[in-house]
Amino acid sequence: MSTVSKPAPKASFGERLKKQKYLQMMVWPGIIWMFIFNYIPMSGIIIAFKDYKITGTMWGAPWAGLSHFKEFLTDPSFMNIMQNTLGISLLKLCIAFPLPILFALLVNEVRSARYKKSIQTISYLPHFISWVVLGGLLITWLSDTGMINEVLVMTGILKEPIAFLADPKYFWWVAVISDTWKELGWSAIIYIAAISGIDQQMYEAAAIDGATKMQKIWHITLPAIKGTIAVMFILAVAGMLNSNFDQIFILNNVLNAEASEVIDTYVYKMGMRSGRYSYATAIGLFKSVVAMILLVIANFITKKLQGRSLF
Amino acid sequence: MKNKIFLAMLASISVFAVGCGSSNTTKELAAPSTEVSKDIPGWTVNNDPTDLSWYVNFSWFTTPWGNDIVSQKITEETGVNVNFIIPAGNEAEKLNTMIASDTLPDLLTLGWWEGQIPEMIDAGMIYALDELAELYDPYFFEVADEARLGWYTSQDGHVYQYPNSSYSPEDYEKYDNIASNQTFLVRKDMYEALGSPDMSTPEGFIDTLRKAKEMFPTVNNQPLIPLGLHEFNDAGNVSLDLFLQNFLAIPFEDEDGNLYDRMTDPEYVAWLKMFREATAEGLLANDVFIDARSQMEEKQAQGRYFAMLYQRTDMATQQQILFNNDPDSIYVAIDGPKNSSGDDHTLPGVGIQGWTVTLISKNCDDPERAIQFMSYFMSEHGQRMIKVGVEGEMYEMVNGQPVLHKEVQELLDSDRAAYDRKYGAEDTFWMMQDLPMQQQWTEASKEPFLQLEEWAAQYTIFNSQYDGLNPALGSAEEVIALKVSTLWGNTLPALLLAKDEAEFDAIFEKYVNDRDALGYDKLLAVQQELLEENKEKLGFK
Repeated sequence: MSTVSKPAPKASFGERLKKQKYLQMMVWPGIIWMFIFNYIPMSGIIIAFKDYKITGTMWGAPWAGLSHFKEFLTDPSFMNIMQNTLGISLLKLCIAFPLPILFALLVNEVRSARYKKSIQTISYLPHFISWVVLGGLLITWLSDTGMINEVLVMTGILKEPIAFLADPKYFWWVAVISDTWKELGWSAIIYIAAISGIDQQMYEAAAIDGATKMQKIWHITLPAIKGTIAVMFILAVAGMLNSNFDQIFILNNVLNAEASEVIDTYVYKMGMRSGRYSYATAIGLFKSVVAMILLVIANFITKKLQGRSLF
Repeated sequence: MKNKIFLAMLASISVFAVGCGSSNTTKELAAPSTEVSKDIPGWTVNNDPTDLSWYVNFSWFTTPWGNDIVSQKITEETGVNVNFIIPAGNEAEKLNTMIASDTLPDLLTLGWWEGQIPEMIDAGMIYALDELAELYDPYFFEVADEARLGWYTSQDGHVYQYPNSSYSPEDYEKYDNIASNQTFLVRKDMYEALGSPDMSTPEGFIDTLRKAKEMFPTVNNQPLIPLGLHEFNDAGNVSLDLFLQNFLAIPFEDEDGNLYDRMTDPEYVAWLKMFREATAEGLLANDVFIDARSQMEEKQAQGRYFAMLYQRTDMATQQQILFNNDPDSIYVAIDGPKNSSGDDHTLPGVGIQGWTVTLISKNCDDPERAIQFMSYFMSEHGQRMIKVGVEGEMYEMVNGQPVLHKEVQELLDSDRAAYDRKYGAEDTFWMMQDLPMQQQWTEASKEPFLQLEEWAAQYTIFNSQYDGLNPALGSAEEVIALKVSTLWGNTLPALLLAKDEAEFDAIFEKYVNDRDALGYDKLLAVQQELLEENKEKLGFK
């Protein structure tokens, strides 16, 4: 017989609920909000499998099985849309994902606190300009008589002005670079926060051991924010099929359509403009399912490699 | 536990979801509040203050109700105060949302071609105008036009919609000044400086554009845009498909009465090839592909286009601005693209369908007042009100003709937007405008518009039978039609941007093959049936 005292009997559900009532009060509004705005609308997914008409109800519409999915997968523009969506997203993953980390590291090395603060503030300001406004600016800047062309021609980088938005071959780069520029400072915030949580004693110890600045970054800062990077990476991969709708919608036009039609704009075209709601919902659902699969895969890989994961 | 919570969630989802969606209960119509007779207009006896909400499916219509003299007078006479509901962005988005959530307002005005109209009628969301009129306002039949009612009679024998700007084939015989909207325009001073060359052949056309660009590289320090077109959209570009085919007088049907494939007509393709060449030479500037209507309007007002395939009424405001600045810098209409035998253009005028139709939704709590309000507009009194305004305040009758007060005329000529908000006549509220009836008060147009109108009138034909050959919504053919038009919308820019003629030919061949693969022949069969129906309604053949 051991003398170790028995663990306290498990409290009943009601008791536990009562005990946590203040915590519960805080979490319930959020749960209710999520339920109303995220879960209830989800029931509308059903029309992806039906032939829904706006004059009827969602439940009364006749079943269509998987025909909308089949139609999308065999759509002549399917390949083009997927190519653009994935192409832009991969570029963003290669450029827009690492740059904020680099930027955070740089900002962290700035000595003067005031200077650091101003850099941070200035860099995340563009985040607060809506794409509608910024898109209008970009269209003017990027036109063949726009500011960017004038600068490039004046400095001799270009011989002739290029209408960047009028040629499909530039569109991916315009989308990626403008998005990176707009979101760089904002995305860096989370890394800067993670860096500021690193124990300063480690840096001091490293300094005593004679570590250079680069070595400190490589052996202390980066490993310390590895977890944050992993989580952000998983989320970025899961969002691969999400393109920035506002941005693409505003920057696309007939001339660059070949490179600018992505899943999101196609869904908008089909659903909102042409009124084919069932078809558009099916495409949206397809996208969500693929995103889910990507999320699980990325999560699995990071778990194997790093022992860190989202779930 | 988990299971129970899940079930509870499921249950509540279905409760919520069933709650949404539209209810299509048939409402019993209340008895009329006053005695009705076909000799007494309903609005004269029934004019207590009331509100009607009115959806207008055009985002550019921004004139409010009640600021100007005309709408104030209409409210005074009929007791009806209108709340306009205007889409802020995409029209289809707004309209579809209202239909799906069953929040249609009392009155609706939308283009007669909109697919939602038959859908709403089928779903029982719209009152039959004839039923309402019989019960509440038989005067409606006194002021309604027989031909229009006939055209808009549904298969169930009811009339759900009434058009504006509608012309019957008889009107075309009666008036010789009916003018199509489709025009080919050039900037007067530049065209004359070039020696007024012929632009009706592909060679002459592109050559003139070249010379124009050479002679006038810039306008006010901005590059000249040699050719302006309507906006490119999902379905192509109306200037380069429908209008161009009309200019080339390509028929809609062959001698046997079968629909003719206008897209593959060799004359049309030859002209498209010329436009490809023009694009390659930079004569179709990037602006043309990118600009939306608001940007075009700005450029038109600056006179930056040399030539335009454009609707003349869509640039009337800009034409006035140019005229005020320099009467030589206006646009004039000249003969545009012609087929190789040099046939006259066949430009359709407004037909029996008119432009927009107005409907009364079943969400309207007071259909009695709504139908009386419609009759008011349709009557000669109402038409005179929206056309010339309020007698004494805005015009005087002189020898049976209205003569506008000086300040009214001046504002009308100089600032149309301000005129709309202050006086509100001249079809500011165009939703029920009856153009044939308004002819009697319409003064002959003045420059800078007269020349455009006279030019268009000589080529204008009645073409209504070929309009609206749209398969029923939700049918397989409707999806085909949508895909075919999207295919064209993608093909047209590709054709214009093709590097050489070989690439053009390849793209065009692919278009024809893809179109056939989509089931074009099925669509054509349905359209043929619709054409026969249309002809029967009009009493042709």
